[in-house]
Amino acid sequence: MPKIEIEDKVLEVDGNGFMTNPEIWDEEIANLIAKYDGITELTDQHWAVINVIRKNYEEKGMAPMIRQICKATGLKLRQIYELFPLGPARGACRVAGLPKPDGCV
Amino acid sequence: MVKINEDIIKAGLEVLNSHKDSKLITHLNSCVHCGLCAKTCLYYLTSNDKRFIPARKVELVSAIYRRYFTFIGKTMPGLTNARKLDDDIIAEMIDLLYGACVMCGRCVKHCSIGVDIEYVVRKGREMLAKMGYVPESLQSTVKAALETGNNMAISYEDFTDTIEWMEEELQDDCDDPDARIPLNEHGKNVLYTLNPREPKFFPLSISAMAKIFYAAKESWTLSTYMYDVTNYAYFSSHPAEAKTIAQRIYDETDKLKAKRLVLAECGHGVRANRWEAPNYIEKEFPFDVITSVEIIAEYIKEGRIKPNKEIITEKTTLHDPCNLVRNAGVIDDQRYILKNCVKDFVEMVPYGTDNFCCGGGGGQLTMSEYNDRRLSIAEIKAEQIRKTGASIVVSPCHNCIDQLSQINVTYKLNVKIKTLAEIVADTLLVENMLNNNK
Repeated sequence: MPKIEIEDKVLEVDGNGFMTNPEIWDEEIANLIAKYDGITELTDQHWAVINVIRKNYEEKGMAPMIRQICKATGLKLRQIYELFPLGPARGACRVAGLPKPDGCV
Repeated sequence: MVKINEDIIKAGLEVLNSHKDSKLITHLNSCVHCGLCAKTCLYYLTSNDKRFIPARKVELVSAIYRRYFTFIGKTMPGLTNARKLDDDIIAEMIDLLYGACVMCGRCVKHCSIGVDIEYVVRKGREMLAKMGYVPESLQSTVKAALETGNNMAISYEDFTDTIEWMEEELQDDCDDPDARIPLNEHGKNVLYTLNPREPKFFPLSISAMAKIFYAAKESWTLSTYMYDVTNYAYFSSHPAEAKTIAQRIYDETDKLKAKRLVLAECGHGVRANRWEAPNYIEKEFPFDVITSVEIIAEYIKEGRIKPNKEIITEKTTLHDPCNLVRNAGVIDDQRYILKNCVKDFVEMVPYGTDNFCCGGGGGQLTMSEYNDRRLSIAEIKAEQIRKTGASIVVSPCHNCIDQLSQINVTYKLNVKIKTLAEIVADTLLVENMLNNNK
């Protein structure tokens, strides 16, 4: 099983770096993955995005549409791409502790 | 992994025993082990691991063929290196045919005697699929498509909500409150398709293509029922599942009575829908099937859209999706478009039909277990991009775009990655379009 190691903490992930056990996700883990991606600090805007993704995952078992993320946070599409340089799927959804979405991502 | 039994063996061997497929039998018996294919393969070039040589992948399938379907193989298997279909060879096949092949077909072009190596790999995958050994990570995307009608399980409400949103973007962009993204309309010239990752995560390519249709005054529509251009069962190589998915897009085009089915920027989607689908569903298409790349080139040639070349001045290069270019013959149109849309266009070396895969082909993006391999074979693409000195990389394939975006971060290239439609849309000026549309 691949692992992410940062600041002496170890997290089990799939080969793509997505969590294999999303139920143990917490804020500390989000910070860990974000740092691994080069996001030095998760701002309120980051957290607004993460919370929408997390809520949708807990209710529907999948990542929300980017449309819902924009609607719920009031952020513009381009702002979300800037907040998470790896994009909404490999960036934001990974930080939010989701398993890898299906399809071309 | 389920342990092999008689029923599983039977299901696998049936693929090799089909009398309809004389091509397969010919190609399984033709490799002369010259080794030319080795240096065409990303996996071998970046690792020097002999297991990855394309001929070795062919050998896996042909060794099984010899063991069960040739006289010497049956009686004295040791003499011809014939191999039993057992758990060991299945594990090897999964690892090498699913996990170490991007199905780019570059080896085929360099084969000294023209063995369709990629076809043999697909048949090997088909054996595994019939035996129930498709990697779960890949099958999950196939399953989403089969069960929900698109590979990201997007609901009808979510889809239409996103399209309305992109319609607003389009209206802003064209400065025309009447600009539309038509849904489910009958009798149009064009039925357009999408890769589900567009509505789900990257919708700006939808409004970009809509802007191009708007500027060209095209009569077009999207379908809310079947818009998914992908067919991941092409990658898993399960023929019945591939057929189900291919049949849907055929039925929808037929139902809406569209004259042309236009395939979005998606390499394998073009391959699967244009070239493989008639084989899957065993009938010819009564309508035209073309790619968005070809239709955009057509608009420029006919003067229906007028790109302004002065807007994008940064050096721009092009990544050729294997399944669009080498394997589906769309080679010149994307170059014609870019030469009309950007000021400074530069080719990668090699390019066109000899181009290297981005590393994300063959369903690799979905298979997390092979992620390290996927990113290490991408070293070649990263170097190709770096050597061009370009700051924009265009690719008419959403799958390539995702892989290129990861290459960008992993190899610190610091380039912008764009779809072709996004580039073209950025060069269409509102004032030109207004004259056109009034």
